[in-house]
Amino acid sequence: MGLKQERRIGLFSLLPAFVLLAVFVGYPMFNTFFHSFTDWDGVNSTFIGWDNFKNIMSNGDLPLMLRNNLIFLLSVPGILLISLTVSVLLHEEVPGWRLFRSVYYLPAILSSVVIGFLAKSMFTNRGIVNTFLENAGLGAFTVDWLNTVPTEFMILILCFYWQTLGQGTLIFLSGLSSISNELFDAAKIDGTTWRQRLMYIVIPSLYPAIFYFTIVNVIYVFVGLFGLVFSITGGGPGYETTPIDYMIYIQAFRSGNMGYASALSVFLFFIVMFITYIQLKISKRLEQ
Amino acid sequence: MNTASRRMIRFLIFIVLAIIAFVAMYPLFYMAISSMKPTIEYIKHPMALPKTWYFDNYQALFYRFSLVRLFGNTILYVGLSLVASLALSIPAAYAFAKLKFKFRNGFYVVMIATMTIPGITFIIPNYLLMSKIGWTDHIISVVIIWSVSAVPSTVFLLTSLMRSMPDEVLEAIKMDGAKYYQAMFKVILPMSLPGVVTVSIFNATNWWNDLLTPLIYLQSDNLKTVTVAVATVLNRFSSDYPLLLSGLLLASVPPMAIYIIFQGYIRKGLTIGAVK
Repeated sequence: MGLKQERRIGLFSLLPAFVLLAVFVGYPMFNTFFHSFTDWDGVNSTFIGWDNFKNIMSNGDLPLMLRNNLIFLLSVPGILLISLTVSVLLHEEVPGWRLFRSVYYLPAILSSVVIGFLAKSMFTNRGIVNTFLENAGLGAFTVDWLNTVPTEFMILILCFYWQTLGQGTLIFLSGLSSISNELFDAAKIDGTTWRQRLMYIVIPSLYPAIFYFTIVNVIYVFVGLFGLVFSITGGGPGYETTPIDYMIYIQAFRSGNMGYASALSVFLFFIVMFITYIQLKISKRLEQ
Repeated sequence: MNTASRRMIRFLIFIVLAIIAFVAMYPLFYMAISSMKPTIEYIKHPMALPKTWYFDNYQALFYRFSLVRLFGNTILYVGLSLVASLALSIPAAYAFAKLKFKFRNGFYVVMIATMTIPGITFIIPNYLLMSKIGWTDHIISVVIIWSVSAVPSTVFLLTSLMRSMPDEVLEAIKMDGAKYYQAMFKVILPMSLPGVVTVSIFNATNWWNDLLTPLIYLQSDNLKTVTVAVATVLNRFSSDYPLLLSGLLLASVPPMAIYIIFQGYIRKGLTIGAVK
């Protein structure tokens, strides 16, 4: 293979992937940007300038959706803390820790649809959760879980945690296993306490893993909640549990407001790009 | 710390981990057990074990919801998407990892950057494009969307694995005057097989579990995937929870089986991105 030939083969190897990405990702993305400035039902579009964006800002949808996304966003530190704790405990390698590690990951492999409907069946009015509360003599605490807004959020977040624990645990465990034993033993000889080792050796060495986990899940709460919301609440009552990605689906494929949905997509695109930008900034600093 | 209190602490840790394991596993037990109950028994005693093991829910799924076809559909779509995404990604990953050509890094950055674009930004025009050329309600739409949108992450993972292939082997083939496709099929593919397996497991379980794409593109019941059928068709019978739960259980069997067989690959794949 000559150099010239290698160059040609290299470019040819990329060609099919780039052509298809251009047709099915690049072009439609610009199309969405363009149509976010139109009133579009899928067939006819009329140019209306910034009206879609003005509508989003003024019709009350935006604060509601952002509130909903913010609730999920605020739940990310919780699962971060739980996964961190669990992996530090697993790292002690008590009997059975390998089995526990596998068991924790099992829910992560399931579809959001499965997790969502499963939770829904557990939390119905006469479901297993309320029955348990009654049998435990806590009948006063039974709630119609799926028909009030705060508990609906609670169930959604619970499902999100159930899905994510295993992923976090695996990521942090592999981070923990990369800490050198010499460093650890040296610290022990110097008479440090367990807590000091945790604060000054274990946690700092996990920074890259913590950072990766946080970013992945922050992006997930903006673009990945569709399955859970679809199966548990359907976004309701009203739009009370509708995050942005689910609203795009409703507007585009239920109501046929393709232009409005495009504007929402553009909005979401910039949110995700902003998060990615912060990610790049911080990961550069972490490397130094 | 003396050994007695050390042991005590380790025992406490064990208890905490066991409780968490129970919480993680309980819904799955509940799903399996409830699916074996008649509806009336489920309503009366949601917590109890079934009195007799009852398989009518599974029979109903089999006969009323043409289970075989749903599974066949999903396996076909996932299989075709795997072939397509690998056919697109492997040559590109090899080129990025080992071939020298102009603008290689530029192309690579562009490819990786598309990974961050949320899928929802291109779903509406794609849907309209597919319906214009008559591909909605046809498997080709799902296969194209699944395989193309998986290309950037697949290339990313395969490139980082292929970079660690020893250059000497490749140089030796070049010296022998081997053609590109000989090198590809005799050396590169076999050597990158573990990476190909890892990334295929991730893609296959993601697609199996995907709701949005097949929900939007496929309307006829006889084209649906298992996941979509559970979410839409079975949900019409949502008051019959044992039936729904047996559907959920069947929908989770393939991904769980994949996980149990390929645990090691999944662990490796998950940590490649996280820990450098």
